[in-house]
Amino acid sequence: MQSTIEGAPAFAYINVDLEPGETVIAESDAMSSMAADLDMVAKFNGGFFGGLAKAFLGGESLFVNHFTNNTSSTRRVSLVQGTPGNTRQIDLNGNTFCLQPGAYIASTPGVNLGVKWAGFKSWFAKEGLFKLTVSGQGSVWYGAYGGLLEKEVDGEYIVDTSHLVAYEPQMQLKIQLAGGLFSSLAGGEGFVTRIEGKGKIIIQTRSLSGLADWLNPRLW
Amino acid sequence: MQIEITHQPGNSAARVSLQAGETITAEGGAMIAMSGHMQVETTTHKRDKGSIMGALKRLVTGESLFLNHFTSNGGPGEVIFGTALTGDMMEFQMGSGPALMVQAGSYVASAPSVDMDMSWQGFGKALFSGESMFWIKLTGTGPVIINSFGAIYPIQVNGEYIVDTGHIVAFEESLNFEITKAGKSWMSSFLGGEGMVCKFIGQGTVWCQSHNAGSFGTALGPSLKSH
Repeated sequence: MQSTIEGAPAFAYINVDLEPGETVIAESDAMSSMAADLDMVAKFNGGFFGGLAKAFLGGESLFVNHFTNNTSSTRRVSLVQGTPGNTRQIDLNGNTFCLQPGAYIASTPGVNLGVKWAGFKSWFAKEGLFKLTVSGQGSVWYGAYGGLLEKEVDGEYIVDTSHLVAYEPQMQLKIQLAGGLFSSLAGGEGFVTRIEGKGKIIIQTRSLSGLADWLNPRLW
Repeated sequence: MQIEITHQPGNSAARVSLQAGETITAEGGAMIAMSGHMQVETTTHKRDKGSIMGALKRLVTGESLFLNHFTSNGGPGEVIFGTALTGDMMEFQMGSGPALMVQAGSYVASAPSVDMDMSWQGFGKALFSGESMFWIKLTGTGPVIINSFGAIYPIQVNGEYIVDTGHIVAFEESLNFEITKAGKSWMSSFLGGEGMVCKFIGQGTVWCQSHNAGSFGTALGPSLKSH
């Protein structure tokens, strides 16, 4: 399997070239174009109950699509997230990575998608009660609205709510006010997420809720 | 006429430089800026072919009802075109090749020597797809400007290729197409969220947009206030 991320950073999309017999799994509605003789089958996202859990708890689709190359030569499928923005690939080798709801785009068959309790603090941060974990062996593609910033945290780091995209599982998340009560509310920062530990986090440079907050007063 | 596309791919704009007396036709609302002496004429269809039917067709295709014709009278001048959604633009030179079918909404502008036909599409096929699968057929010679939501990538079809309906920008008329299911079964196509797709058959080029405006709307919509 060969894959490239094109159109980055503003309009990233993924070209996956599948060799005969290979499969790639993608979230619902991620396919933009594909060879007509690839087989596409919708399956529950990790079994029936797993799919339900991911759909209702993890903010992911109930079904995922399996694209399989049953021909005798290479075939391409192009995959994209719903929003403009950047996309990244991570290669898992037995390790785990945590994704915020909606960030998952696609993965190879050796990757397990799971849902874990993220705590009420995560929900306060508008990031959902549960977090999506990816683990196992293989590649995962995830994306965000805006650019993606990678940050190695050692100690404490603070991220504005709704800008956190992904993080390593050992990182501890806490929700708190950005400053004092007045500066937090008047300064427009509100709640922030305090991240503690040693490891990698991924931040998106824009957020859909930020766009919506800007648009809403202008709609009538 | 000289066309220069700037600020690609995120915030594309097309700067069209016209010689004295030259005209460019554009989708209503596409003009961002222009020379002060530019003369603008608004019609419901291609110039000199305006008709009530033409206007109705454009209404049906989801394009705004009007075309603006910018003529640089009394000397050279320029017009700059932009679009509502962020994304790329492409200049396409019509020539001896096949006609170009452009998805309604992706058309920005064209030279007067390019003919526009809104009546090409069979309605049954179009309505069934549930998306704005209406087309403008462009023939003749000269430049055409097309826009996309996101990046534009071409696919050289030789045989069959599937494109999600929300991702088609334009294609050469040498290709046939059918609206069909993406998966092996209808059930799979709908459960998997892909729904209807377009299968292109034959030989020719289809230009795709990397992103789907409908999907972006679905992502953003729940956060917007209802009215």
